[in-house]
Amino acid sequence: MKVRKTTAGSGITAKLLVLAGIMAMLCGATVFASGSGEQGTVAAAATVSFANWADAEQATRPGIQATISKFEAANPNITVKSEAISFSDIGHTLVLRVKSGNPPDVAEIAGNDTFDVAATGGLEPLESYVTPDLKSSINPADLEVAKYQGQLIAFPWTDSPNALWYNKDIMKKAGLDPNKPPATVDELMTDLAAIHSSQPDVIPLGLDTTNRTFGLAVNWPWMVTFGAKPFSGTTATADTAGMKAYLSWMRELAQKGYILTGKKIGEFRPLAAQGKVAFIWDQNVLQGVIQSVNHMTDSQFYATWGVAPQPKGPAGTSNVVALGHQLIMFKNSSVKQAGWELIKYLATSPDAIVDYTFKYESSLPPLAHATGEVAKLLSTPVNKAFVDQILPTMIIPPYGSTYAQAYSPIMAGVQQAITGNTPIDQIAASIQSNLSSALGG
Amino acid sequence: MVDLRKTGHRRYFVKPGHGWSIWMMIPTVAVLVIVIGYPVVRTFLLSRLKYNFISSAPARVVGAENYLHLANDPIFWQALLNTAVYTLGSVAIAMIIGAALSLLTEGFIGRLRVVKALMLTPWAVPFIVVAFLFRYMFEERSGIVNELLLRAGLIHEHIPWLNSAMRAMPSVMLANIWTQTPFFFLIFAAAVAGIPQEVVESARMDRAKGWTMIWHIKAPFMRGAALVGGLLMVISNFNDFAKIWAMTEGGPGYATTTLVVYVYRMAFTSYDFGYSATIGVVWLVFLVVFASVYIRAMQGAPR
Repeated sequence: MKVRKTTAGSGITAKLLVLAGIMAMLCGATVFASGSGEQGTVAAAATVSFANWADAEQATRPGIQATISKFEAANPNITVKSEAISFSDIGHTLVLRVKSGNPPDVAEIAGNDTFDVAATGGLEPLESYVTPDLKSSINPADLEVAKYQGQLIAFPWTDSPNALWYNKDIMKKAGLDPNKPPATVDELMTDLAAIHSSQPDVIPLGLDTTNRTFGLAVNWPWMVTFGAKPFSGTTATADTAGMKAYLSWMRELAQKGYILTGKKIGEFRPLAAQGKVAFIWDQNVLQGVIQSVNHMTDSQFYATWGVAPQPKGPAGTSNVVALGHQLIMFKNSSVKQAGWELIKYLATSPDAIVDYTFKYESSLPPLAHATGEVAKLLSTPVNKAFVDQILPTMIIPPYGSTYAQAYSPIMAGVQQAITGNTPIDQIAASIQSNLSSALGG
Repeated sequence: MVDLRKTGHRRYFVKPGHGWSIWMMIPTVAVLVIVIGYPVVRTFLLSRLKYNFISSAPARVVGAENYLHLANDPIFWQALLNTAVYTLGSVAIAMIIGAALSLLTEGFIGRLRVVKALMLTPWAVPFIVVAFLFRYMFEERSGIVNELLLRAGLIHEHIPWLNSAMRAMPSVMLANIWTQTPFFFLIFAAAVAGIPQEVVESARMDRAKGWTMIWHIKAPFMRGAALVGGLLMVISNFNDFAKIWAMTEGGPGYATTTLVVYVYRMAFTSYDFGYSATIGVVWLVFLVVFASVYIRAMQGAPR
């Protein structure tokens, strides 16, 4: 009996030891595969979940899927699981997923959404991943806009600021010089009047006036060029002469029929492709949308469309805001090294830049210097205008959690100005009051 | 174990010999506590916090501060007014049209019953589809509404239906009324069909017809349906998010911002969970008070 007990005990002990050994090997393999967040190579198979809107949009879906396939071919030990989330939903979806402990590994993000997600504390700081060589190859302004509380929490993917696109054919029909886009707000108003009177069916100016964080970012440069800055920190500064001048100008645009109110910029793009929009305040993605809709060749497009910096307002400045797409990685990720490889590939590899950033996003890569095919593509008339004239005017709106609370009172006031008859002084005071309440409440 | 038959509860809830039946309610009660009770209590607790969802700063208890803020928040009061206008206006108009249609089609029998079935189709269309349909119909440049009015010579320029502070709310309400009228038509048609034939016949013998027949004979039979349907639709409209968000996103300005839209903006774009919970609590109180008053009125209504 005693012997049997001993034998049985030894058997169990041996089995436990074998089991523990297997578990240890499995744990070791898992840890090795996931990496520790530091730089290194991905030694074992890893699956990276990648939340993005590129896969949710018809125009970019084929491009991002092909790019991901190329990345997987170049990195056979990494599989990318793309999660399509619409642009409008990705910000709050990621916030909720971080808070519920279920974020993806990597995500595409833009504008204030970057800072909303960063405020959750769920983003992996990227400084330790960026080598000095890589850092020097990226446009410093793009890196600057990706910082939150002094830390690099996102990596720039594309540059796509707003600019003033103009349809040369429509300008010609209105008796305007198609090679001389308006340089000031006064010139813009003169041109809009000429277009509206000569071609009543054409929308003179496509401008996003929606009440969303993107809507404020789009309108921010116009506010600034009128001398307005509706809030600073947590202080509302909307009841000012500059803001009233901006609101009055917006009302004039609406009342004279120069803009269609309440439209998202995406709603103007198909109309622009049909030659029904004269000027449009839009990102460089516009070129891709127009060409995908009307199948213009590049040379036809450049003969029809031009792009220029923002016309200067009373403040005498021409501005654009940073609206580029960025890539973020989450602290919870267990495959950080593989995630970083994906980020680096999408943002900086010539293949991804040529075949996706230029071809499908019609955007610019965040590179400080370009060579080869990338340099050639940067020399097109539109890209050259963006690089030489428009990107140098980039300003950064006061992104952050305050911005998330401020956008709605401001844009609601803008909508009141362009759709009603309430005196501008009263609207500015109302924005000031609602903004103070939102920022201090 | 507690013998329920010995407690006072027995007299109210349990018939003699069926003491075990109260235990049968436990799963249902448990589910209700989890899916209704917990969120309500949690919302109330949140409403006492200064709590920004994305902030790394911990939530702190501020007592009634959020409620004081709400009392002085002009957007909240405008949203409350918009909610009342949208809800009561939509329900009242849809109810009147539904009642009228049910009376007009009362005699539709045989093949004509197809007409009744067709009248129900708007109710079968998903709300989000209705919202987009009407949004495209009200498009300023390409919408069919402006096109028809222009061709008929009733207007001389495109009208921004959804982008006008004055016209946005009526336009959204029109879409809502279109989709809700069949519901009232359905319940009123059932009520009218349930009127005893002898009541109608005796009224006819007394030479009642037309408006007198409707108002004095049929309307009392429709009252119960109106009260039940009205309560259901008031609650439904009070919480209606999809149609308003898809058509106007609460704009322009705050012209169509209702409480549910305001809560959404506060919670999911500004991430101010404490304040949005406060609005939610007040919103719940309004609904409970309204429902209580309405149910009392319903219980007093003739059957």
